Amino acid sequence: MGFLGETFLAILPGVPTTLVLMALSVAAGFVLAVLFALARLSGLPVIAPAVRLYVFVFRGTPLAIQMFLIYFGLAQFPEVRASALWPYLREPFWCAVLALTLNTAAYGSEIVRGGILSVPRGEVEAARAAGMSGGLLLRRIVGPIALRNALPAYGNELILMVKATSLASMVTLLEVTGLAARIISTTYRVFETFAVAAVIYLAINGALAWLVARAERRLSPERSGAARTGPDLGLAR
Amino acid sequence: MSGVAAVAVRGLVKRFGALEVLRRVSLAAEEGEVIGILGASGSGKSTLLRCINGLDHADEGEVIVGGETIAMRPCRGGGRVPAERRQLDRIRASLGFVFQGFNLWSHRTVLENVIEAPIHVQHRPRAEVVAEAEALLEKVGIAEKRNHYPAHLSGGQQQRAAIARALAMRPRVLLFDEPTSALDPELVGEVLRVIRSLAEEGRTMLLVTHEMGFAREVSDRIVFLHQGRIECEGAPQALFADPPSERFRAFIARWREERRLRGEL
Amino acid sequence: MPEWLVSYWALMGFGPTGWGVQMLRAAAMTVAVSASGFALGAVLGGLAAWGRLSASRVGAAVAATYTTVIRGIPELLVIYLVFFGGAAVLGWIWRSVWAGEGFVSLPAFIAGFIAVGICNGAYQAEVFRGAFRTIARGEIEAGRAAGMGQLLLARRVILPQLLRFALPGLGNCWQLCLKESALISVTGLVELLRQSFIGGRSTRNFFAFLLTGAALYLVITTVSSALFALAERRALRSLGRAP
Repeated sequence: MGFLGETFLAILPGVPTTLVLMALSVAAGFVLAVLFALARLSGLPVIAPAVRLYVFVFRGTPLAIQMFLIYFGLAQFPEVRASALWPYLREPFWCAVLALTLNTAAYGSEIVRGGILSVPRGEVEAARAAGMSGGLLLRRIVGPIALRNALPAYGNELILMVKATSLASMVTLLEVTGLAARIISTTYRVFETFAVAAVIYLAINGALAWLVARAERRLSPERSGAARTGPDLGLAR
Repeated sequence: MSGVAAVAVRGLVKRFGALEVLRRVSLAAEEGEVIGILGASGSGKSTLLRCINGLDHADEGEVIVGGETIAMRPCRGGGRVPAERRQLDRIRASLGFVFQGFNLWSHRTVLENVIEAPIHVQHRPRAEVVAEAEALLEKVGIAEKRNHYPAHLSGGQQQRAAIARALAMRPRVLLFDEPTSALDPELVGEVLRVIRSLAEEGRTMLLVTHEMGFAREVSDRIVFLHQGRIECEGAPQALFADPPSERFRAFIARWREERRLRGEL
Repeated sequence: MPEWLVSYWALMGFGPTGWGVQMLRAAAMTVAVSASGFALGAVLGGLAAWGRLSASRVGAAVAATYTTVIRGIPELLVIYLVFFGGAAVLGWIWRSVWAGEGFVSLPAFIAGFIAVGICNGAYQAEVFRGAFRTIARGEIEAGRAAGMGQLLLARRVILPQLLRFALPGLGNCWQLCLKESALISVTGLVELLRQSFIGGRSTRNFFAFLLTGAALYLVITTVSSALFALAERRALRSLGRAP
């Protein structure tokens, strides 16, 4: 089998952990990102500045210290230990998910906000002129265009999130990096272990990048050079 | 003439900072009337139109559509905003607005653009809306582009699609905000042809335009705005033949001079 | 004064029980290792950008591989590679060249800034590439037409403008260095995160120490942003035209 093969099998169990960490925090983080972006754009007193402060803090401090605060910091409060959330907050997995979620929500909200601001003003006016407003306007016009414009930046954020899951190893979680670190410190076969772990991450990120590129192509037939047309909605001839 | 005007404004005042763009403008359009609104850049023509459908909000005065006044309330910063969102949306749905920049929704095909508002704002059944949309696209002459995205259409085609989109709402009044100003000269004609046919159908239209000759031919009444005030108005032939206002006379003279320079006269 | 503030100051201040000095020293360490890493990153990034733009296919391939691979793997993994790998290499040299015994470890600071440099270099390379593409093709062609050689062209036309266009991206890269410096704590280097952790564990008050550490990071990142913004404004002014 060889050392490489053994190492690969030893690290493999970490892959689901990495993927689940990433999926959960990206999903929850996206929901929060949209909410925060809308909150900031609303300009409402108290709420909009609060979101600005949140984004400033979470983008201005390292994810590592955010994770430490949640895993080590919260645990010292008796109120937290007595609360209903304690079964989750004592687990490194859920602490990592929470930290990753809050972190990606901050970066994501800026990306979503940028996407919304990039919707051509004229198209929004045309929708308003036709009698659209509020939720309808967001759902049918602003949302789709904003998301399409934000996709490249958000795709990049997804890749950064896969890399960010490695920080969970700093709070004892055994995802890919955690397992790799353990193997290195016990077998001292640094280069082989690094190579295996690196290949795994590159595979994950490569697949992710390909999916994002595909999504970009599908969402922008109107921007691609060829005059590809949309679904034929007309009545049968 | 029916008693209630299709659309009317009374005493509209609009300020942008220290600049007064509209100064007590009053205007009424009867059913079936085509009003051509002319004036130099900055005279307030577009602002007038945009105040009617609420894209801009007048600081004083009233906008009345089909006898219904749009309710306004004061807002932070000194101006006014519509008081009832629902009323504004409903009234907007009865006014068809055609933009200088077309403003088709880039993520929808031409057909999807036309059916969007009737289905989602007016809640009309899809089959009926699609059938009507197809007919409208046929009427403006771009039926074969129904499944194309706006980016692949010429300016003239996009504007015609925008007109079809406005018509699909079955509006009482059509508002045109310089519909051909952003078009290359050779594409202007196809759009003007569509607008002319709509006028001949007897639709109520407010047409803000720089195409003076076209306005003269197609309008029942011409309104000339100068620095936010109605300088003069009346039947086109009479107004052009014998301008009652010195400023309007100068305006027409400049237009004729320009046409001469371009070799059209 | 409120009681919690008094006890906080006792903990974090400069008195006999205060950890203020250690925290500030750790913050300085963070800046030091980040700056060293940033400088190394500039060298590596510059080389990689130059490699990708060069005519040599091998050079371009190596540079492209470097930037793609490094940007696709976690920084923590690179830190482990440099720290443990460096120790392994040093140990091998020690044993074979000097017939020494036992293990040699790479000093944490050195491993740290090398790792930061390697990771940051990949991002800086992209910044330089983008900045280079922004420089008007015409200006370079004008230089060639005037008979300027590669080196002269680089020195007189490209480099002065490169910095102006690269500054915003470099500001971002600097922030990345600061964030990455926190990860170096796994090597035992006493930078801000590690110091916060040590203080917290020692006094059983993780929250106060980590929060203070976070606040210190915020100070560093905010001051950095302000400095970069200042630099960008000055660069724009000295070159006369708007971007």
